[in-house]
Amino acid sequence: MGRGYIVEDTVERYLSKLCEQQAGPVTGLLIGQSSAQRDFVVMAIRTPQSEESTAAGNSVDKELVSEHARQVSRMLPGGLSVLGVFIITDTDAKDTLTTLRQLVFAVENLISSELLWNPADDDVTDSVTLHVNTKTRKTVCRTFDVKDPKSTARPADWKYQSGVCSSWATVSCCLNVNLLVPLPHNKTSAENMDRCLKEGLKVWANQIESGVCLIDGKKLPEDSELTAGQRRNVRQMYSAQLLITPDDQRLPDVVQLCGGSVSVRGAIHSRAFLHSNKPKAKLAEKLLKRDVVSTVASRVQMLLEEEDQSGDKQQTEQLCLPRRVFCPVKVNGPVCVCDYQFSDEGLPEVIDRLKEMLDMDAAEEDLDTRQEMTAEVTESSVTTEPTVETVKASEPKKNNYIGVAMATAVALLATAASMLYLNDI
Amino acid sequence: LSTGNTVMKILNSQLTRRVISRTFESLRSQVQSESCVLAVCDSPVFIWPNKSVHATPEEITPNTPCEDIQQWIQTDDQESAGKRSAKKKSKKSSSSVINLRLMMELTQPGPLSAPILSKTVQRSHFLAATLPMDCVVCIGCSDTIKYACERLLEALTRQLCDMEKVTLQHMRGPTVLVPEALHFLLPEPKGLVTVVYTEGVSDSQLETQRKELHQQFELPDDRPYFRRANAYHFPNEPYKDGYLRNPHVVLTHPTLDNGKLYLVQGIYSYHHYMQDRMDDNGWGCAYRSLQTICSWFQQQGYVERSVPTHKEIQQALVDVGDKQASFVGSRQWIGSIEVQAVLNQLLGITSKIMFVSQGSELASKGRELANHFLTEGTPIMIGGGVLAHTILGVTWSETTGQIRYLILDPHYTGAEDLQLITDKGWCGWKGPDFWDQTAYYNLCLPQRPKVI
Repeated sequence: MGRGYIVEDTVERYLSKLCEQQAGPVTGLLIGQSSAQRDFVVMAIRTPQSEESTAAGNSVDKELVSEHARQVSRMLPGGLSVLGVFIITDTDAKDTLTTLRQLVFAVENLISSELLWNPADDDVTDSVTLHVNTKTRKTVCRTFDVKDPKSTARPADWKYQSGVCSSWATVSCCLNVNLLVPLPHNKTSAENMDRCLKEGLKVWANQIESGVCLIDGKKLPEDSELTAGQRRNVRQMYSAQLLITPDDQRLPDVVQLCGGSVSVRGAIHSRAFLHSNKPKAKLAEKLLKRDVVSTVASRVQMLLEEEDQSGDKQQTEQLCLPRRVFCPVKVNGPVCVCDYQFSDEGLPEVIDRLKEMLDMDAAEEDLDTRQEMTAEVTESSVTTEPTVETVKASEPKKNNYIGVAMATAVALLATAASMLYLNDI
Repeated sequence: LSTGNTVMKILNSQLTRRVISRTFESLRSQVQSESCVLAVCDSPVFIWPNKSVHATPEEITPNTPCEDIQQWIQTDDQESAGKRSAKKKSKKSSSSVINLRLMMELTQPGPLSAPILSKTVQRSHFLAATLPMDCVVCIGCSDTIKYACERLLEALTRQLCDMEKVTLQHMRGPTVLVPEALHFLLPEPKGLVTVVYTEGVSDSQLETQRKELHQQFELPDDRPYFRRANAYHFPNEPYKDGYLRNPHVVLTHPTLDNGKLYLVQGIYSYHHYMQDRMDDNGWGCAYRSLQTICSWFQQQGYVERSVPTHKEIQQALVDVGDKQASFVGSRQWIGSIEVQAVLNQLLGITSKIMFVSQGSELASKGRELANHFLTEGTPIMIGGGVLAHTILGVTWSETTGQIRYLILDPHYTGAEDLQLITDKGWCGWKGPDFWDQTAYYNLCLPQRPKVI
């Protein structure tokens, strides 16, 4: 049977408005969350106008749509993703379907090329396409399996409803990031730093993925329902803790000549939203971990993209990653989008981006800036105050029986144990 | 200066040592920080030892006795990670092992400041190593978790200090010598002791260190306690090679009037017919007994070479001139003299030979056998008639002269089933009538080298 999409009323109103306003085809993205049984669409966002497209009103720019999708993905917290593409046009259904198919594959290819996590077996691989015909006002909904290049369109249900995400759950945490990556000792070009950082992020992402996730202080069995025992239709907020240990893979020990290092140190706020249809603990864990990885990776990426435009690469410097700012979506419920505010920007710039990228009208009062503080570059180096206890050699306690022997087998983090020493030449 | 020389110079400098020490200090403070978490393996139990011993699940408090943790550990035959039902409460009241994993919590309450990316451009060396930390504390069942955590934190901090010392001591050139922690079970009351060696440094190079340890722990200097092979094997860890170790320990030993027990000391593996995909049924019994003896010398740390195969045993006899080259690959029997020769050739072990002209005389050899197990403690190979066996101990009464022999039978052809082997007497106590009363017997009594 085909998939079933439950869609917020606000999306219907948004699409209708677009029908009335525009001449020529309008494309856009559909944002929400997929689950095994059902899919939920929370937002629709039209593709921003570029200067060229206003002139050539009738063509659909595949690259523009996928680039828009890539940028929008960065503004979606965990649990929200680009589910598919819509098009509003009076063109024939068959041609439109071909266009839509090309669009969803292009979007998927671009977005997945940037992901640092491994796909899971229970990930939904269908993307949705929606065709709203301005003449007939008919909407046609089809899905494609974007992991199968030969997939064909399958019919799907598209149903509007109010309060789709009104009782969605939120899982969040504030997490310390401490990455240290050596740079190669031949020319430290910008590309080298990018590549090294990306590799370092990949290793870090693997650690996060294999870490232990506690929800509200407890380790829940994977398949247990997160919201079990809670009153229905009440908004749930959960706080998560992440514990890591690199005991599985012991990375090879290394001593290497290097040209320097790059470190990323600080904290991030991570958030994920869960649909209200009996979500499982392992879903919460998966979505939160992915958000942790993507919020750090996106920001590093953004910083590097900015840096590429500026000058001298051969110097020691400190750059602040932008801080994460949240903005609620105008539907009933906890769902938010986010943006990243650089230290030299004010809130008006954030508001502008929300309008341009997400077609969202927000006011400064709506923004939640309390989750992260702007990073500041200070002169003090990171010196940890060592507290070395003087341990007295204690006599082993005389027991009449050896009751319990606790053995700890530990492999300490390679980056925690990594040492960087300087050459005074 | 060429690059090579520069590297050597840097790696031995004072600056390097200071940086390494500083890194270890930072590791110690991590272990003492609130982010340090002890996770009980196979369970939903997590403990924050530096946060007032806060734990999850919430039923666990700092004053919870350690034995209660057992209930939360999920064994293979359980579905969920919850508490075991009261009915299934563990019968074990004596020693048990709880495995913990050291973890770091990455999360903490916010808001905190967003990350900073720091780029440092300077020629330097980068050293990254994973420290395989391994600590053990022995505590009483009713001791609280709080107490256990204090002891564990002490052990972890001390081990980091030991590892720092070892790392600085063995810094040589561009290679990284990673420290390695091993546990050794010393005679009571010393118990389990942890020593930090360096990976890749062989036992022969560690003799000075072992001498110091023997002095420190007041141990005799004629038998090894601190060779790598002597490392304590925790009861809940299976042996990877699949052989049974010391099957005799599950037996009920016989009691004789004024009888005393004299058993093999240490650990051996049970070698018998058909193992290692070698069909030696009917001819290989002495070879298997020899393998059992070799396994003893290896596991007590006297030799590093692995247990020899039938071919290797035969080749050794050819090499010493005892057999013709055609012997290798044949199915010919060997006896005690050959066992003695192979032990000498392959392991450098000397053995005494005891001869009895008839099996009935074995009953009067109680004193010699008892002394052997007291001083040498090695398994004995006995061959006579058409059979070879291994003697693992005797129960002997000096007053009545009564004697029983603990026999490990290499003629067993089945699987490594401890229950079966002990039930059917493949490892079991036998009386003097076990021997062919009229046949003559040779016994090979391997001698323990007086080394550490």
